[in-house]
Amino acid sequence: MKFICLIALIALAGVWTSRAQTNTNAVDEILALVTTNTPVPKPQPPRQPTRIESDSVDFDLTAHRAIYHGHVRVDDPEMKLNCEWLTADLPQEGGRINHIVADTNVVGDFTDEKGQTMHATGDKAVYVYEVQNGVTNETVTLTGNPELENAQGKSTGDVIVWDRARNHLDITNPKIVFHQNINGATAETNAPLTVTNKLTAPN
Amino acid sequence: MKIKLNSAILVLPMLGMLGFVVVVARAQQNASGHASDFTSVEYYEPPHHQQVKSRLSGAEASPQPGGLLVIKQLKVETFDLNGKPEIVVDAPECVYDTLKGVATSSGQLQVRTGDGGFRVEGEGFLWRQSDSFLTISNHVRTVIEVSSEKKI
Repeated sequence: MKFICLIALIALAGVWTSRAQTNTNAVDEILALVTTNTPVPKPQPPRQPTRIESDSVDFDLTAHRAIYHGHVRVDDPEMKLNCEWLTADLPQEGGRINHIVADTNVVGDFTDEKGQTMHATGDKAVYVYEVQNGVTNETVTLTGNPELENAQGKSTGDVIVWDRARNHLDITNPKIVFHQNINGATAETNAPLTVTNKLTAPN
Repeated sequence: MKIKLNSAILVLPMLGMLGFVVVVARAQQNASGHASDFTSVEYYEPPHHQQVKSRLSGAEASPQPGGLLVIKQLKVETFDLNGKPEIVVDAPECVYDTLKGVATSSGQLQVRTGDGGFRVEGEGFLWRQSDSFLTISNHVRTVIEVSSEKKI
């Protein structure tokens, strides 16, 4: 009998402890709500790594630079890129690559945060990322018969500068062909089109 | 320039060519001239002469004709002035030309930054000590990982 009572007591104690713990958690949650209205930010999922494959590579460890040769393929969550030569400045510890030059038969597919894709081709592409006075600049400059194509249409010109930070296109001597939807109307665009030798428009 | 040396007579010429001016070596050397389990350290120039600049280690080094050395389980590590690892190079085997200061191999090579965020591997390489130039000849695969708030 004493043994049964002991078991019952232990069981009760366990339930009480569990409830007490639950109540403590609940109080903490309420306190968190009272003390701040700011929602707790969800931890960002780890970013998928960038992979580069090529036939060969030269590393200039003095200049902190890598030069990839032959069948270069870049596989990044935001970009797939193929070319014959690719030069990248190696990142500092914990940092990011801030300068990439892709050369010869450049073919890239970019995906923005909304999942929209942009297909780019050209002889050369230069990617630059820099932060100056707290302002982020991130551009892709295409030269050598550059072409950009997305759901809205295809753009060509002498030079195409894609400002990724501002989601903006800057095209020198532009030629733009809009894709038509099934009703025969041109696809919608937010870009105020201006026929000049230099076109600047959000993509 | 001070030299700390244990029994590493074999390793010294190689290290001299590699630019390892100050040497700390612990090596077992046998009559045939083979050395095993050796480590060598290069320090920064003054005023940072207490800071390790790079460390080279290998499981085995065998002298060959023509000033060549066959090194097994090669590992080269470079450090910044704060002692943080910068680059780590691993190769199961390579041939080092002590006259030209060039290491070559047809085998695997792995290179990674100290934080592991940049990793490269491939087959076949040439390492030129004079200008710190490394060529990986075949099947190059690079993986770049950055924290989620620092995207590529």
